[in-house]
Amino acid sequence: MGNDEEIRFAVLSATLLFAAVIGFIIYFVILYRNRQVKNKQEQDEREIAFRQELLQTQIEIQEQTLEYISKEIHDNITQVLSFVKLSLASVSNTLEDSKKAKINESRELVAQTITDLRDLSKSLSFEHIAQIGLVKTIEKEVEKINKSDFIKISLLTEGQIYSLGEQRELVLFRIYQEAINNALKYAGAKHFKISLQYQADLFNLTLEDDGAGFSPDLLNNKNGSGLRNMENRAVLIGGKAIIDSKPGNGCRINVSLNPFKQLYTDGGPHPNSFS
Amino acid sequence: MVRYKKLTIPFKILAVSFLVNLLWEFIAEFSALVYNTNAFALLFQEVSAYIFQSIIFYYLFKDSALKKIALFSIFFVVIFAIINGIFLQTPYSSFPTYVYLLTNGLSVLFCLFFFKQMLQYPLVIDITKQSVFWFNIAILLFSATMFFNMGLTNYYARHKWGKDIIFYLWCCNQPLLIILLGVSLLIDNRKVRTQNGQ
Repeated sequence: MGNDEEIRFAVLSATLLFAAVIGFIIYFVILYRNRQVKNKQEQDEREIAFRQELLQTQIEIQEQTLEYISKEIHDNITQVLSFVKLSLASVSNTLEDSKKAKINESRELVAQTITDLRDLSKSLSFEHIAQIGLVKTIEKEVEKINKSDFIKISLLTEGQIYSLGEQRELVLFRIYQEAINNALKYAGAKHFKISLQYQADLFNLTLEDDGAGFSPDLLNNKNGSGLRNMENRAVLIGGKAIIDSKPGNGCRINVSLNPFKQLYTDGGPHPNSFS
Repeated sequence: MVRYKKLTIPFKILAVSFLVNLLWEFIAEFSALVYNTNAFALLFQEVSAYIFQSIIFYYLFKDSALKKIALFSIFFVVIFAIINGIFLQTPYSSFPTYVYLLTNGLSVLFCLFFFKQMLQYPLVIDITKQSVFWFNIAILLFSATMFFNMGLTNYYARHKWGKDIIFYLWCCNQPLLIILLGVSLLIDNRKVRTQNGQ
């Protein structure tokens, strides 16, 4: 090999090596970007899983607390009140008519309180929902609230009713309770519509009130935590909640979910179960 | 100086190494003019550049074993350079190509290990906005391309045509190295890297 040829060969090999390194760097950049995308996806999935885990824990704690209160009302307070009612009955027999009438009035009030507390105990307990299902539980709640004349509730059920599973039904019931509470407490609504649509591959729960409504900004500030909670709860059961409201236009909450979609929490313990 | 304060530790070291390297360049030029050879100055320049580079890699590596290797390699290179200078390639007789082969080879290895680390721990920010990426490609491009040619300097010199090759490669690589390292210094920011968990 002559000198010129050697020079050409050396220059060529150096240039090829340089090009190879550039090629390697380009390949690395592509690989790195792919890894970034994959990493981001994994991070998002971890965040969702963490959020769901957190919500699950919150719900578990909440349900345990509600169950405890429910049992206390049922086993303790109503029992004491029943005893008070009986005592009043025995006392009234020994008194004159004017006092007897007052005692009987008090007995009736105590009896009414016992009934109300039993209803409250049932609505707080998840066992009731597990036993009779979502539709029947809501029906009973509607019946009870309609008696109060604070608000007029209408319930519409469409399609063949099927079970959504204890956890989903419990979460949907809590969303309903939150919505009715908001309508009564904040919106001053006079009418409340509940619609349950059971389609083959889609379940829809729509809750509408004619109250004061609110600005969509509320969802992003701390006062809207109850509303955000509804959205989070819907996510937890594999659904989606859309909250639509404007000041003066009432509020519409739609929760939709695929009844056959695998739940993140499937196979896990019931939210109310003690570990 | 304001920019220097914002730099992370490895890039502060890089900024200092720039100045030290510049100083060695002057000394090398001076030696070539006065003593007719700059081999001695270039040997010191190469060893000092390698020391700085290894310390930078020491700070950049997350793996403790690699950190130790980066530090240990400094002692190894210094001892090898002394042995090479005394017994194998004395500065006045030949160019210290063995030292260049060793330092460039180790640099390429460290760069590859660092690329592997980057893939293991990808950051959220765009790769082109990461100072470590520019630093690493600067070292990889320079070391990989100059590896054989610096190593073959004595061969080129014996065949009287080495200057052309070295000059050609030097003209391509040296400005590229400075530009890429400059970019890494410009975009390095302590806050950004802390936010990204580095």
